[in-house]
Amino acid sequence: MGSWQATADVRILWRVLGTSLAGLTAYKLRSLFVICATALGIAALTVIVAAVDGAQRKAVEITEMFGPDAAFVLGGDIFTHAVGQRVMTLSWEDARTIERSLPGVSLVVPMRSRQNVKAKAGNENIDVGTVVGSTSNYAKAWDWPLSEGRDLSVEDVENSAKVALIGDDPSRLLFGQASPVGQVIFVQNIPFQIIGRLAYRGVSGGGGNIDDRIVIPLSTLTQRFNLDRKYFRALRVRFHDAADMPANAAHLRSLLRHLHHLGPNEADDFSILTADEILKFMSMLKGSLVAFLGVTAAAAILVGGFVLANLFYLSVSERTHEIGLRRAYGATSLHILLQFLAEAVALTLIGALVGLVLGLALGQTLARLNILEIKLSWKIFTLALTSAVAIGVVFGLRPARRAARLDPIQALRGSDE
Amino acid sequence: MAAEPLVRLIDVTRSYRLGEVDYQVLKGVSLAIEGGEFVALQGPSGSGKSTLLHILGLLDQPTSGRYELEGRDVSHLSDDEQSGLRNRTIGFVFQSFYLVPYITALDNVLLPGLYSPTPTGRLKERAQELLAQVGLSDRATFKPSQLSGGQQQRVALARSLINDPRLVLADEPTGQLDSTTSTEIMNLLKAINAQGRTVIVVTHDEATAAYARRRILVSDGLVASDG
Repeated sequence: MGSWQATADVRILWRVLGTSLAGLTAYKLRSLFVICATALGIAALTVIVAAVDGAQRKAVEITEMFGPDAAFVLGGDIFTHAVGQRVMTLSWEDARTIERSLPGVSLVVPMRSRQNVKAKAGNENIDVGTVVGSTSNYAKAWDWPLSEGRDLSVEDVENSAKVALIGDDPSRLLFGQASPVGQVIFVQNIPFQIIGRLAYRGVSGGGGNIDDRIVIPLSTLTQRFNLDRKYFRALRVRFHDAADMPANAAHLRSLLRHLHHLGPNEADDFSILTADEILKFMSMLKGSLVAFLGVTAAAAILVGGFVLANLFYLSVSERTHEIGLRRAYGATSLHILLQFLAEAVALTLIGALVGLVLGLALGQTLARLNILEIKLSWKIFTLALTSAVAIGVVFGLRPARRAARLDPIQALRGSDE
Repeated sequence: MAAEPLVRLIDVTRSYRLGEVDYQVLKGVSLAIEGGEFVALQGPSGSGKSTLLHILGLLDQPTSGRYELEGRDVSHLSDDEQSGLRNRTIGFVFQSFYLVPYITALDNVLLPGLYSPTPTGRLKERAQELLAQVGLSDRATFKPSQLSGGQQQRVALARSLINDPRLVLADEPTGQLDSTTSTEIMNLLKAINAQGRTVIVVTHDEATAAYARRRILVSDGLVASDG
């Protein structure tokens, strides 16, 4: 008896939900508006989650690439950006002194680079995003494995040799599947022999593709590209011990201040970045991203919810006869409540799916334009659907309860008056 | 069971509070209706006949007195119990038909069945049979707006029978129909009555009331005449 009753109850509930679906197609304009309103909110939510996850992933990737035992020294103070400040403050002398006298240092690699340089091999012409000038051991300093060939050597740098490491991108563009090692590549009409190929990294390091690069000896770069020979833009310093990076960075700072003859009241004319520093910066960026997009998404969802609530109030008053009739014929107030609530939730769920598609398309577009880094995951899907159900229930509940509480006699009387 | 009337009202009153005063619509109605009767409930506007119909239909409850349906006291049921009992026992027919506009004639007929334990397949078969009984088999997939008034009321009659109720309550069933269509509807109600169901019709119209074998005249909240 008990289980028979339960079966019947389930059957009735199932049919009540079926009734809701019929209502969706019956009131098309209302359905369309609710779907659109919800979709906008969910699209905003999708973009925010994808963007926040993307920023998070990027922070992790940058740290990994950066190396926990490394510091990056940039000429000029990037934190305060004083106007007209000299940024070429790091000299060969600085690099040599750090390598010789700073305790715990394992490797010092000065770096300069040129952007968007024309390169050619055979009949293929390409633009290379970055040509990096480096001292020996570039691959080792950046923990960047070579897929074939060898790293830059001390002799290469001393002799200003015309040799190059090639990134995965230009290698594939110029040589396809064939091995680039031993081939000659013309960089601004200067022939370089390729000695090694950098493994594919695929991480976008702050705009631009990190695999789109060619690495040549620093001495060659300054000579052949007519760059200042005394200074360079950046310096990478690796330490033996990653455990105490703040102390390592502090020592490095004292030494550089001493080398640059800075008085106690003068500001640094260089900037030291460590992985910690970058993470801090990223989380700050992420914080403002969350705040901005969060407010946008919340506002969009709230607007969607109010649109839903109002249209459902309208729908309930439009359908009092239907409600009265169903009540007269034995629908309980719970059945009526569920019918309207299910209509609301079904619409917000459809809205969520539309919003997901919209949000993902928007996210992909922003990612392609390099405005946002995004990451897609099942979490977004789950979150969107959960929020949709929440919107439907929260904003649909009051109109649904009004429908459920209608006195059947009053509801049936409606039209005769 | 045979000795019990289907419907018995004992000294039923119904009053509403309007501001400071109690307004008594029913002032003590007692009557018994046997299974299988065809009754017309008549009376001028404001006589209390509508309230009486609502109480009989378990849409309203007496302020005092007792209502027995199938021998069981149903004067003070909970809202859900009333709903269940309406679903099983009572079919309603209204002056304005009250078909749900966005579903087909067939779905309108089986609507009361949705809230009953009957399996959906069985309901569909029965809805088809009932549409055939009212002569609208070929209109099963039509929406109410595609049907004439008389056809809509026939769908409503079919709907009132889907849960096989013992009691059919019709509130001015011919109020919006011309005389030819009214005759069709009343003949269908007569046929429903001939199946053994009790039919109670509320009406102003003498021609409609003439179909009933028993007339109850309500006046000023009391039964003025019965027979």
